[in-house]
Amino acid sequence: MDDHVEMGAESARPDEGRRGFLVKVSAACAGVSAVLVGFPVVRSFVSPSLPQPRADGWVKVADDIALLDVGVPVRVNFVQELQDAWVESRSLNGVWLYTEDGDKFKAYNGHCTHLGCSYVYDKDLKHFFCPCHRGQFDVKTGEVLAGPPPRPLDELQVEIRDSAVFVNYRDYRLGVSDKIEA
Amino acid sequence: MNRLSKWLDERIDLVGIRRTLLDRRMPRDLTWWHTLGSATLAVFLVQAATGTILAMYYAPSPDHAYDSIRYLEHSVASGALLRGIHHWGASAMVILVVAHAIRVFSMGAYKYPRELNWLLGVALLGIVLGFGFTGYLLPWDQKAYWATQVGTNIAGTTPVVGAVIVKLLRGGAQLGVATLTRFYALHVLLLPALLAGIALLHLTLVVRNGIAPRTGVLELNAPARTDSPEYHRYYAESYAASKKAGVRFWPDIVVLDAVIATSLVLLLFLVGHFVGAGLELPADPSDSSYVPRPEWYFLPFFQLLKLVPGSMESVAAVGVPGVLVLVLLLLPFFDRRSARAFNRRPVARISLFGLLGGIVLLLGASIREPKPTAIAPEVGRVLNSPERAGRALFERQQCGGCHIVAGKGGADRKGDAKDSPELTEVGLRHSAAYIHSFIEDPSRFHTGSKMPAFGPPVLSHQEIEELSRYLSSLRGKNWQTAKEEFVDTFPEPRKPKEKP
Repeated sequence: MDDHVEMGAESARPDEGRRGFLVKVSAACAGVSAVLVGFPVVRSFVSPSLPQPRADGWVKVADDIALLDVGVPVRVNFVQELQDAWVESRSLNGVWLYTEDGDKFKAYNGHCTHLGCSYVYDKDLKHFFCPCHRGQFDVKTGEVLAGPPPRPLDELQVEIRDSAVFVNYRDYRLGVSDKIEA
Repeated sequence: MNRLSKWLDERIDLVGIRRTLLDRRMPRDLTWWHTLGSATLAVFLVQAATGTILAMYYAPSPDHAYDSIRYLEHSVASGALLRGIHHWGASAMVILVVAHAIRVFSMGAYKYPRELNWLLGVALLGIVLGFGFTGYLLPWDQKAYWATQVGTNIAGTTPVVGAVIVKLLRGGAQLGVATLTRFYALHVLLLPALLAGIALLHLTLVVRNGIAPRTGVLELNAPARTDSPEYHRYYAESYAASKKAGVRFWPDIVVLDAVIATSLVLLLFLVGHFVGAGLELPADPSDSSYVPRPEWYFLPFFQLLKLVPGSMESVAAVGVPGVLVLVLLLLPFFDRRSARAFNRRPVARISLFGLLGGIVLLLGASIREPKPTAIAPEVGRVLNSPERAGRALFERQQCGGCHIVAGKGGADRKGDAKDSPELTEVGLRHSAAYIHSFIEDPSRFHTGSKMPAFGPPVLSHQEIEELSRYLSSLRGKNWQTAKEEFVDTFPEPRKPKEKP
């Protein structure tokens, strides 16, 4: 088989410099191609982990502040529009609204910070009470009064616009002591 | 040799692989044309890489396909670029495969001992076209839908088995859900596996037989025919001599391949970025005004079908590609003359130039034709979904039997219906609200109107509304400049019926 050049007899050839140059050019081409194709391929693959523009979370939860009880928290439900990649869906979600004076409002995410159960207002205790693991929260501040929850209830931004109540709805990571957006 | 390569060498014979693949001698004086095969391989790798990510952002269902593509274009980082590269990569694949075939044909490289590799190459050409055809449908926009509609109908003109072929292609009688999943499965599972497998065989044979030398090397004093033992001996000697004078594959030849492949990748990147893949409106099966056009590499064939009379259509649609494939498959077996130089093969020259000339003429003719748009001629703009539903109702209720729209319809304008007004510009004269009330009960507007009342239960209010929206979109030929001048005169409210 004289098809193949004998190994070992290669070195010390006069064209060693040319050969080295061709190897370098080939390697450079391979590198450039890899970057050109790799850039969109890798970037679109990791796209979900890149910072995304957050959808506006403001939702109207009550039409008229005058109709809301004072001193007693009320749970208000609203339909949340969800964008799951290219599929739009709606889901029912809820927040707790509380006001002492009918003027300043507090809003809490409707999920217990422990494991995400929906908590209720216990009229006898006058606390929020989570039936799953008996967590209790203060109505005025959201502080944990009893049970396993690792942090206070997640307070949400509230705005009154033309006597309607708007809440900037957000979900936070559950079961951890820091309030981190999910 | 370091420890790792020594370890590998003991197990997989690294030195042997290197000698067989990289250090092999190539025939002398290879041309740039010899890089077309490796360039095709390079673009295929680009398609595989980009396609894998595209599949992650794609839902093969008519409900979501279009939305998923739009999501990719607008919400995925570099998504539009990714799709642009894949889109233009498909065109590049077709061009390169065909150019490669022309190179092999014109240099007589399909002759002894490479007949088998020519056959594999023909199969690869078919697979690449199959990729183009199946991939084209996936965005599920107007272009995709209608081109596939026509493409599958062409296959349906095959005598005897046409009806079965259409159902097999579409996964049912109609183009729809099952067609999309079918094309998707072919595009991402079957065709890639076939292409990878056959390309591997193709490359193995290239290494086994060596690349065909440039013409002239195997010409001098060659026996006349390739199927004689003398020729085989002559071939072995001449090819070996050419190799002896040639360079090694690595890096002397690889560098040419690398430069060409990288230039192509750069070109795809730029075109993908600056031109992109484009996305038309979502597929609308009810749109009878859309003029389908296939992807450009199917255009010559598409144009050919326009030229033949209807009775000959199935002959042209199935016969022309059938004969072409047959000729390609048989070529290395009936052409056994040893002449390889293009200028010594007059028949080959005439055939190639004839075929290419025909293709270019047909392509030119179809490009010169006015570019079809997705705009209904009678409206001047794209219809929205209630309007489209209204147009479908217009057809279903056979409104066109009495009413003329843009020169169409009016077949039943006789007797009572002879005075049915033309509706081409009805949107300029009447508001949708007026049209709605009118359709419900025309006799309220014109006593003695011959038009039947279409109010419930004939049509629901929603249907009448859709119909009215469609009609009010009709603004005639001068839709761009025409101004609405409503002459809506509603009749007096009907008096409540007195109970007897």
